[in-house]
Parts: sequence; structure tokens; C-alpha cells
Amino acid sequence: MFMVDLIQWWYFRGWGTFASGFKHKLQDLLDFFSIGQLFQTLFMPYRQISATTSAEMTGSHISAFLDRLVSRIVGFFTRIFIIIFGGISILIEALVGTAFVVVWPLLPFLIVIGIVLAVMGVTF
Amino acid sequence: MNLVYHYNSTRARSARLGRLLGKKPILYLCLLLAIALFAFWIILLIQKMPLGWLCFSGSIFCFMIYYWTIKELIPVPVHDSNDINSLLSNNVLANLPKNPKPKDLANMVQYTNSGRFFAIRYGISSKMLAELVSNLPDDISPIFQNAIKIYQGTQSEEIHGAIIAAAIITSHPMGENILRQMKLEVSDLLDGIIWFNYLNGLVKGLSRRPHSGGIARDLNFGYIPTLQRFGQNISVYGKGHIKTQLHLASHREIVSQMIQIFSNQGRQNVALIGPSGSGRSTIVHAFADQLLDADAKLPSNIRFRQIFKLDAASLISAAPEPGQIEALLMHIFNEAYTAKNIIIWLENAQLFFEDGTGSLDIANLIMPILEAGKLRIILTMDKQKYLKISAKNSTLTNSLNKIMVNPANAKETMKVMQDQVPNLEYQHKVSYTIWALKEAYRLSERYVHDLEMPGRAVSLLDAAGDYALPNGLVTDKSVQQAVEKTEGVKVQQATDQASRAQLLNMEELIHKRMVDQKDAVKTVSDALRRSAAGVRNEKRPIGTYLFLGPTGVGKTELAKAISEVYFNGENNIVRLDLNEFVNANDVSRLIADGAEDEMSLTAQVMKQPFSVVLLDEIEKAHPQVLTTLLQMLDEGILRDIKGREVSFRDTIVIATSNAGAEKIREQVNLGNPLVNYKEQLVNDLMKSGEFKPEFLNRFDEICLFKPLSPADCLQVLDLIIASVNKTLSTQKISITLDDDAKNLLVEKGYDPQLGARPMKRIVQKSVENLVAKFVLSGNTTPGMSIQITRSMLEEELNTK
Repeated sequence: MFMVDLIQWWYFRGWGTFASGFKHKLQDLLDFFSIGQLFQTLFMPYRQISATTSAEMTGSHISAFLDRLVSRIVGFFTRIFIIIFGGISILIEALVGTAFVVVWPLLPFLIVIGIVLAVMGVTF
Repeated sequence: MNLVYHYNSTRARSARLGRLLGKKPILYLCLLLAIALFAFWIILLIQKMPLGWLCFSGSIFCFMIYYWTIKELIPVPVHDSNDINSLLSNNVLANLPKNPKPKDLANMVQYTNSGRFFAIRYGISSKMLAELVSNLPDDISPIFQNAIKIYQGTQSEEIHGAIIAAAIITSHPMGENILRQMKLEVSDLLDGIIWFNYLNGLVKGLSRRPHSGGIARDLNFGYIPTLQRFGQNISVYGKGHIKTQLHLASHREIVSQMIQIFSNQGRQNVALIGPSGSGRSTIVHAFADQLLDADAKLPSNIRFRQIFKLDAASLISAAPEPGQIEALLMHIFNEAYTAKNIIIWLENAQLFFEDGTGSLDIANLIMPILEAGKLRIILTMDKQKYLKISAKNSTLTNSLNKIMVNPANAKETMKVMQDQVPNLEYQHKVSYTIWALKEAYRLSERYVHDLEMPGRAVSLLDAAGDYALPNGLVTDKSVQQAVEKTEGVKVQQATDQASRAQLLNMEELIHKRMVDQKDAVKTVSDALRRSAAGVRNEKRPIGTYLFLGPTGVGKTELAKAISEVYFNGENNIVRLDLNEFVNANDVSRLIADGAEDEMSLTAQVMKQPFSVVLLDEIEKAHPQVLTTLLQMLDEGILRDIKGREVSFRDTIVIATSNAGAEKIREQVNLGNPLVNYKEQLVNDLMKSGEFKPEFLNRFDEICLFKPLSPADCLQVLDLIIASVNKTLSTQKISITLDDDAKNLLVEKGYDPQLGARPMKRIVQKSVENLVAKFVLSGNTTPGMSIQITRSMLEEELNTK
């Protein structure tokens, strides 16, 4: 009964539960790297650091422009780096997760295969 | 609807297996084994040993068991069906035997979290439930049927222990009576289930990581060193953070309004105006949580904005010199503006718009910012303060988007208290019962005046945490104790033997210090007994009485006696001579603010809410003063000059007057009983215009005090001598007067016009002087009793 319950769950609710858990993990990762937001704000100053107010108040517009430009360049490179790194992480997670979802129904068979290989004395 | 429990259903089997495999050591062992076997497989494979494949199989098997246990066997998710086997929770299923009987069901409740929740908070234990049910297997179906109904009615996720407990009670023919004995109703049980479900949901939510914008949000967040130093970021997020819950529909509506205002073009500010305790800060916190919720549907221009709270006191302490504070604030506002994604919150905003200790006036600084709408600002303040600022600077208040925050009703307040209970329990290390919550609401309504609901009930609940019973439970008694200790009032019903005896013998105790006036004494004693037994109208003072009669007959003495016997001592008396309130403008003195006049009626009662209020010579007060007192007599409330409600609901109000004294004396001299004359006297007083009918009608009772006879004066003399002996007791000496001596004092001291007052004077002149000479001459020794004779007194009086 024990094995029947386990196998029954494995191929029905278990598979769905695992797929749903994988989906949530992927969503968490997408939220963490927030790539969409990073693209939308790609050219924004890094942490809004610029001398806008004080420089403009004193009339040195060129200085303010340059200051903002530097901040934007820093912001751009930081975001690009995170987009690339995040993209790779999400891709890996997606591939690994999908692989697991695919392999999931095969796991009980792997137990049998392992026993058969042991009996047959197979080695690499 | 299937109501037959199947011991061998898949869920029941899973639950029992989950109870075994779900134990932490077994679970960890399983995981460890999976990892170890996997490692062995690799090692053995490298060693070219075919046995490694068995390790591989074992590793996968252990992993499958582990995953099955944590995802299925421990939670045992419910199945969508009306079958009892699909709906019972894992704990219930795991503990039910084959062919369960109602008693098994009752015993099982204690093994569930919700069952323990009910046992602690509602006093409904497994033991109690077991006494209500039979041992017949067939009787279980009606309980299951009720359980499914309750499950559906409370929109629960599963049928857990608390639902079973409620189902057992509601299935019992005397269920409602049993609950009534416990001061509960069926609706309380249903609320309790919803309360448990809510807390359970919060705990489950803690394990999920909320989506809140991630790295992109942090990179866009401005560099704000000064704001971070002087402000407090209330926008917190991450795993373990419980989102602020809004239990009031009106509060949820306010948050929607705030979203609307800040996402539209226009004035980028919101002023939340409402009394303290009404939930202004909770609304701001809930708004902050919503802005950070990546899953919430919000306009992009306010998404992920963070709210910084500014505190006037810390800003003032950081910039004490004139001009510094303005410069600091400009710097902070500039930072917030350039950071782009910050909303400034000025809590207790009135402190930023008034001069004084702990406050600063930055109206001129903030006005251009508010009008330009470049920086988003939230202001929270008291309505009274808002009106004050509005009167001073209408331009400022006109530039604000005002939203009123109204106090919560009873149901909403209960929800808020239920929400706060886990925090309070964590702080005080106690458990709150449902009766504590109900009592906190009821008593806070009466005794907590500086806050509004729900804050006032929560504050009392918090205070009650310090008065938990030895078993760590906070009950209604704890709340009553908290009120008694903090407010100085008596709210607990007289339950101990001594208090009961005191109340039942109130007349006797009062007569220990005053003579006769039995009607008045009985009337007042009855009122106090009603109050102590909890059968009085709580929306009025304990009692309101008008004592009419000549001077020196015991009107004031009765007030003092009541104060001593019932109100914890003679000092708990608030006494006002109304002959000092003879002008219309004296009303302002009567209800003056305590800070300006601590002797005003409102200030004294605010300090001593549990006392006797004695209004002497009321007939001499200006009619305007009497009109002011009408609401106090009627509803037990008087507003002070600042509009604050002062409660007189724990006072006994006694007004005394000499009006009609001559007529009373005439009636007594004619031998007519005063009881029959009362109505006529009252009519005469109204006709003569001494009192208005609406004023006299406000009193519970008008008591007539008869003049004292020589025989009464003899009793008064005994009381005075007893008082002298009490004073002398510190020197261990006492005095006794023979009958002739007493008669002499009554002859000399009795005055039908002045009552007992001359008696006190004559005792002072004769007896006390005599004793003083004895003491000074050294003729007294401790333990001595001085016998005073008529001749001694005559001699003493003749020497005068």
C-alpha cells in the first residue's frame, strides 16, 4: 500500500506540485533580478546620484550635465552586468527545472534500472 | 455529502504515515541518506563496483520518500469535495482511530493547533468536549454534518480541531446554554475559527518570499545619506515580514484614494486627519507595503516608492540653532526629490506647523513644495490640531488633500485586536483569552479617553498583559485589574466575602460615623450595591442625589462616609462649594483645563474618576453653571474647556442645599413624616424658582434631611468622643464621659438651627482642653482611661 500510495502521488499530485514549486522559484528569480525594470531604467543615473540641484542652482549647467552623464554611464554598465548575470541565472534555473520536470516520471524507473544494473554487474 | 469516515482512505493513510515520517529526526535522516547514498554511488562507480547502482537506487528512493513526506504526508492537502474524508485536516486524520466515536473526536481536538488555540482562548478543552458527547459511533455523523456547515460558513481551508470543537458544541441540544454559561455565543466560536484561520494564514505566508521589485528597485533607489540619518524607512520587505493588514473597509478605501492621488497629476500630498488611535499610522504602513508589492496592480509612477518617516523631535535636537533646522529640512527635501522614489511622511504633522517645545514652524518652507507638487508628502495629524492650523494658516490647509480617518466600530476593533494579539503575546509572554478582548473593548470605551477605537482598546489590551493570571492567561479579570490600577476606578464586581459583607452592611458602616437620616443612607447604599453587582446603567453616574435640609444635619458627613466606606478613603471626594460659582462666566472655571486650574471640577474628576462628587450649596450657583451640569447628571459626561470628555460614570454625585430648610423644620416640629412632604417641597422649590424642573428631574433621588433632636445630638456626641479617642489612641490613653457630663454637653451644644456643628465646638472647648491639661500636667500614663464628670466640664467651661 505504501508503494502504491507513493507511486500514485508521484505521477499525479506530486508531478503537479513539483512543477508548481519550480514555477514559483522561477518567479522569485525573475522578481529578484527584475530584468524588465532594469531594461526600462537602463540609462537612468546610478542610484540617482547627480549634482542636478546644486549645480543648476549655481548656474553651471555643463557641470550638471557631465555629472549626470557619468552617473548614467555607471548606471548603464551596472544594469547591463546584472541583466546578463541575471539572464544566465534564470536560464540555468529554467533549464534545470524543466529537466527535472521531464525526468520526474522517470525517477521510479531509475530505481528499478539501478537494481537491474547492480544485478547485471555493470560498471563504467 | 458523505459523512462516513474511512479509516483506510488515502488521506487518512497519508496523515498517519506523515505523523511517523514527518518527525524531524526521521525526515533529516532520510535526506541525509539520499545525499550519502548518492555520494557512495559516485565513489563506487569510480571504483568500478556494480554495488554502487544499489546506492543510486537507494538515493533516489530516499529522495522520493523525503519529497513525498514534506509535500504530501505532512500537509495532507484537502481534496475539493463534500466528503468528510477529503476535508478533515491532517492532525484530525492522524489521530482518529478505526470506527471513531464522538468521544474519540473530542479527545483528538487537543492534538491539533486549532484545538489548543480554542482551549486557551475560549476555554473549550478536549476534556470539556468529551463530557458533552456520547460513546456511540452513530452519533458522529451529526457532528460531521455540522462541521461541514461550519467549514463552509467560515470559508476555512479544511476541517480542523476548532471546527470539530464548535461542531460538537453546536450539535449538543444544550449547546447554546453551555456557551451562555461561559459568556459566549455561537457567533463567538465562528469568529474564533476565522481568527485562527487568519493567524494560520499569516504564519504560512511567512515562508513565502514576497515579490518586491528586486535589484532594479534598489538600483533606482536614490542616494539619501541625510534622509537615512534623520528619517525612518517604513517600507520594509523580504521573507518574514508580515504585511500590515487593514481590517476596516474605510481604511482600505483610504489606501485606494492615496494611490489615486499620488498617481495622478496634481497636488502630491495626502493629509490623514483623525483622532489618535483611529489607525492613521496603520494606513500609512499598509500603503507602504502595497507600494512594494510587485504583484499588486499599481500605476508605474508610484510602484516601489518608499516611505520615510520624519520625526520633529530628532530634527530639532540635531539642529538647535535658529536657521539650522530650515537648512537641514531643505537638504532632506532636496535629497528626497532627487532620489525620485521617496514619499516623505510627517507623523504628528502639527509639530511641524507650530512653535513651541518639541515643535517647529516650517509652514513657509513647506508651502512652495506642497504647491509645486514635486515631492510626495503624507501628513498625519489630529483633527483638533488640523482645525487650529487651519485657523492660523488657511493657505496651508487648502493646499492639502485632506482625507478623514474615522474610528472603528466594535466588530472592526475586535478584528484589529485579534490581529495585534500575536505581537502582544510575544512582548508579554502570555496568552490572551477572548474574554480579555471583549472586556478591553467594553472598558476602553468607558475609561480610555485620549485615544479612539481601535487604538484605545489595543492600548488597554496591552496594559492587561502585565496582569496575567499565574497560568499566563490574560482574562477579563486582567483587563479589569489594568483599568483599576491605571485609572483608579473599581470595575470588578464584588466577589470576595469581605467586599460583599461590606456592601450588604453598608448602612451599618455609614452609621458608625453619622446619626439617623436613615432614608438618605439607605437610598445611597442601594445605589452602591447596584453598582457593585453590575446591574446599574453604565452610561450614567453611579447615582445622583440632591440632599435637602438644614445645616449641620449630616449632608456633607454622609458624602464623606460614602467616600470612606466605598471609594477607598475619605480623600476620594471631589468637593466644590458652588457659592463660588455665582456668575455666568464662572462656568469656565468649573470646566477649566487641568493645566490652568487643577481645582476645576473636570480636572479633579479626570484625576480621580472613582470618587464622590460633592457639590455644596448648589442653590447658590448661577443658572448657567447648573445648566452646564445637566449633561453630567444625565449621561455622566462633562466636556472640559478644551472639548475633552470627562467621565463621571464612576462617581456618585451629591448636591447639597439648605433650600427649604425652614419648611422641613416646620414639618418636623408639626410631627409630620418627611416622606409625605417631599413632593410638596420639591414643587414649592420649583414654583419659587430656586431650582428649575429640568435640573431637579436629573437627580435619581431627592433626600430630605431632618433636623437633629437632642437625642440625636447625644449620639453625635458619642461619635465625636469616639473620634477624640481615636486621636488619643497613639498616646495609649482614652476618655470616658459619664451620662451627666454628656447631658451637659448636649444642653450647651444643641442648637436646632445649626444642627451638630456647635457640638463639635463645645467638645473642643471642654473635653479636649481638659484632656490637654491632663496630658501636659504629666498625670497620664499609657493605658490610662480618663473619666470625665459633669463637674469637671462645668469647671472647665466656667474658666472660659
